[in-house]
Amino acid sequence: MQNPVDPEQIVHISKMGDEELLKFMKENGISLKISEARLISNKLGRDPTLTELYIFNSEWSEHCSYKSSKNLLKMLPTTGPNVIQGPEEDAGIIHLTTIDGERYGVILAHESHNHPSQVVPYEGAATGIGGIVRDVICMGGRIIASADPLRFGDPKGKFANRTKYIANAVVDGISGYTNPIGVPNLGGDAYFNSSFDDNCLVNVVSIGLVKEKDIIHSRAPENAEGFDVIIVGKGTDNSGFGGASFASLVLDEEDEESNKGAVQVPDPFLKNVLIRATEAAFREAKKQGIEVGFKDMGAAGIMCSTSEIAADGGFGVKLDLDKVHTTMEIPSFIIMCAETQERFTWVVPPNFTPTILKIYNEDFELPNVAEGARASVIGKVTKEKQYIIKHKGKVVCNAPIDEVTSGIVYDRPYKEPKRNFKEPNLPEPDYNEMVLKVLNHPNVASKIPIYKHYDTEVQGLAVIRPGEADAGLMNPIENHAVGVALATDSNPKYGRLDPYWGAGMAVAEAMRNVAAIGAVPSGLTDCLCYGNPEKPEVFWQFVEGVRGVADAAKNIWLKGTEDPVPVVSGNVSFYNENAFGKAVDPSAIINCVGVIEDVGKAITMKIKSEGSGLYLIGERKDELGGSVYYEVNGELGANVPKVDFEKERAMIYTVIDAIDKGLVLSCHDISDGGLVTAIAEMILGGEADGKIGAEINLKSELRADKAFFSESSGFVLELDEKDVKEVENICKEHGVELVKIGETKGESLVVKGLVDLPIEKLKQSWTSGVKEALR
Amino acid sequence: MKKPKAAVILFPGTNCEEETARSCISVGMDADILRWNTKEDLSSYDGFVLPGGWSYEDRVRAGAVASKDRIMETIKKEAKGGKPVLGICNGAQILIETGIVPGIKNDIQMALAKNINPLISGYYCTWVNIKNNPSNCIFTKSLGKGEIIPIPIAHGEGRFTTKEEGLLEQLIKNSQVVFKYCDEKGETIDKFPINPNGSINNIAGLCNPEGNVLAMMPHPERCCWNRQLPGFERKSFQEMNDPGPGRKLFQAMKEYIEGR
Repeated sequence: MQNPVDPEQIVHISKMGDEELLKFMKENGISLKISEARLISNKLGRDPTLTELYIFNSEWSEHCSYKSSKNLLKMLPTTGPNVIQGPEEDAGIIHLTTIDGERYGVILAHESHNHPSQVVPYEGAATGIGGIVRDVICMGGRIIASADPLRFGDPKGKFANRTKYIANAVVDGISGYTNPIGVPNLGGDAYFNSSFDDNCLVNVVSIGLVKEKDIIHSRAPENAEGFDVIIVGKGTDNSGFGGASFASLVLDEEDEESNKGAVQVPDPFLKNVLIRATEAAFREAKKQGIEVGFKDMGAAGIMCSTSEIAADGGFGVKLDLDKVHTTMEIPSFIIMCAETQERFTWVVPPNFTPTILKIYNEDFELPNVAEGARASVIGKVTKEKQYIIKHKGKVVCNAPIDEVTSGIVYDRPYKEPKRNFKEPNLPEPDYNEMVLKVLNHPNVASKIPIYKHYDTEVQGLAVIRPGEADAGLMNPIENHAVGVALATDSNPKYGRLDPYWGAGMAVAEAMRNVAAIGAVPSGLTDCLCYGNPEKPEVFWQFVEGVRGVADAAKNIWLKGTEDPVPVVSGNVSFYNENAFGKAVDPSAIINCVGVIEDVGKAITMKIKSEGSGLYLIGERKDELGGSVYYEVNGELGANVPKVDFEKERAMIYTVIDAIDKGLVLSCHDISDGGLVTAIAEMILGGEADGKIGAEINLKSELRADKAFFSESSGFVLELDEKDVKEVENICKEHGVELVKIGETKGESLVVKGLVDLPIEKLKQSWTSGVKEALR
Repeated sequence: MKKPKAAVILFPGTNCEEETARSCISVGMDADILRWNTKEDLSSYDGFVLPGGWSYEDRVRAGAVASKDRIMETIKKEAKGGKPVLGICNGAQILIETGIVPGIKNDIQMALAKNINPLISGYYCTWVNIKNNPSNCIFTKSLGKGEIIPIPIAHGEGRFTTKEEGLLEQLIKNSQVVFKYCDEKGETIDKFPINPNGSINNIAGLCNPEGNVLAMMPHPERCCWNRQLPGFERKSFQEMNDPGPGRKLFQAMKEYIEGR
């Protein structure tokens, strides 16, 4: 064999006993299981070098290999008539519109940065954004928006001070990264509860725009033998070394200091320039008609990026680590696996290499923008499918490239735990007091204190902003009416009560949010956040979650078809639990992208005029398990809201059709806090400056508190009375019941005999909840 | 007549260059985005826009490093010759740091300091109203007297302030105060949220004594089309795509160039 590895580098694991091997791995920060380490020797036909051991340690981590989840994720529907790119690459792409024969796509990417954000919240959240925008840009597109579903601990609980510190630092980290790079933040949500006290969840979503013919794949193109492998960006250092493995372990406070070292260091300034230089490189490649491969460098750094870009094209690769630009003297395995931020990998024909080097190193002066940053040629694509790495003249790795990238798979056992939930028996409340209490709960209250930190206006594409409606809306193509909507969702308490319905409801609600502005739910991403998958009870939650996402996506069809709304990208995050083994609430966090043909037809949630009718679709059910109403009463309950897929679909289609025909003045989806909260929010509007009140007369078989605060699926619509007939017809077509519940009038929220609250009071409660939680 | 040609300057960290160039183009100018290290001959351009962003990472102070960039020497020279220069947000910070604005002495006379904001500390993004204050600024010639326009701000350091005694009085006397934060009725109330950052005299934009250089914190390129305005109401796409209030500044820039 050519390029034999340097015998001095070999770790003789086959000669070590289990105990010795375990000790060796622990000392070297390798988190492989003994059986996994021994499997490497089997696959290679010899013992691995230390570098190879680190390579497999990263590649076989849960974070990179999806070893526990891979088989189950096959349940998710990932294809459909509007799918341009499924989840195989760094981001998925759905069809947006076709203009003069030119097909445009929306790029979707979604991941989490939970452990880093818990340990070093500012940097953890910032590098989360940094990573997700890389996933979008590496498809050859332009990043047009981001969103941030966040889950924090209880701001009034035992760890209130830490929770507040983490929440504020995470928000600062997100704004401190997205604002400078020029990406508007147009969606997201925030939930607070004690299950996240020791393990916050920081999800990041990024959306991009690309013409189909400009898509760049994260793999070496055809006939790439002899192409150069170029890395661009920050000089490699030891930051984030072990990040992928760190994401795949339970956080232990004792290790807090060493864990901090595994968090990457963000540099949004360099990223800003890197994005612009990369766009210039895209333009140049297109102009010259050059086929290239381009890939994000994220988890497990150079190793993961270079091996996958070559292997996915059917090639091998030969790297010379002495050519990697570094900012410190570091051993080969750190150069390979460190997660230094703000880097990408190119695979280009040698005649295009000078152009790439000029764009990054001279035109955009990377070396002057950040110390040690530049573009460097570090190797070649080879026909022989080996992964060969030289360092200081010695071969430190020579492994079959498919073995490196194929990972391992586990079928984990799972078991439904015994659980016992009970419905409370609550006395009827003072309704005025209760409405204000619910509005003030941080899971319901206005998120202005969070999103006013974010630049929503940069790029000038925003049409509907956070808070103005259930979804954000952009008009991304100049002089063309098409719009892209986005919304994120997942109620952790529903997941706690029932991980299947929690996940199904998250999908349904994200779709409802998009529909509530008039857009058609067209693509989904999921970030599945759970505890330790090695525990059968936890793994059961995961299995149920995936099933819930899959069933909802398959049964609430893509409008106009009987195909699923496709799940085109996603991420799995395990080991979200504290040192005592308490896992976070099972959280299948969903992002839904919607398409609206004409942004001029979209609507917001704020009441538009006095004297219009308020109508309900979606029956109120005795499903208050996990509701805000129960929570403010110190209860959890048992009856989790369930999704009747067929009815859900019918409701969503009804709302989209009615909005499309211009028949709806405003619309709001019913979720946290229930019907009465939805109406209060319609009165207030996103900026809490609404002036028109409402008088409600709700007839329900349920007791008033249950009818008011039940979080069963539904919508509230504001209709001009002259349009009601036509909306009724649309409802009939879809088999949906339209119920009048009141009208817009006065300057208060009035429910005869039960509630009478002036707008000013609603505003006071709704706008102070999150402010207090963060202070 | 030759189409006026604007240069939109990209510093490392700038992030509003695309929509700023689009705004220039929307009024019938040509616009090129030029990098800070460009080898192009800047004197071939008729006007300059320094867009918003985060040049040089806001090192030292926002705009401080870019103001020392070689390209600013040339822009200073071109401004002296009467060409229009518009600095938006970070661009305004750069102009203040070069001293071109307010430009009464050949020195830095003002600062854009950290916002004073009881709601949110640091970076703050929201929509405000500003009023066209009587001035000799060339960028407001298309605006009505006292016209109020809705416009977004997005900054952490946008509070116009000075330690120089009598400077404010002089700015007012010279008609250099171009825009003032106000409420919907045009009242320039010096109180949050009407004055969103605590700026002295509610100043949102200032020009040089000659009026051809404007430094403003709000973003006219983000209200250059109706569709960008908040409080969205259903309307036809045609109407949505109509010019927004910010367009008037770019219109005035073009007309000024054509009239020179």
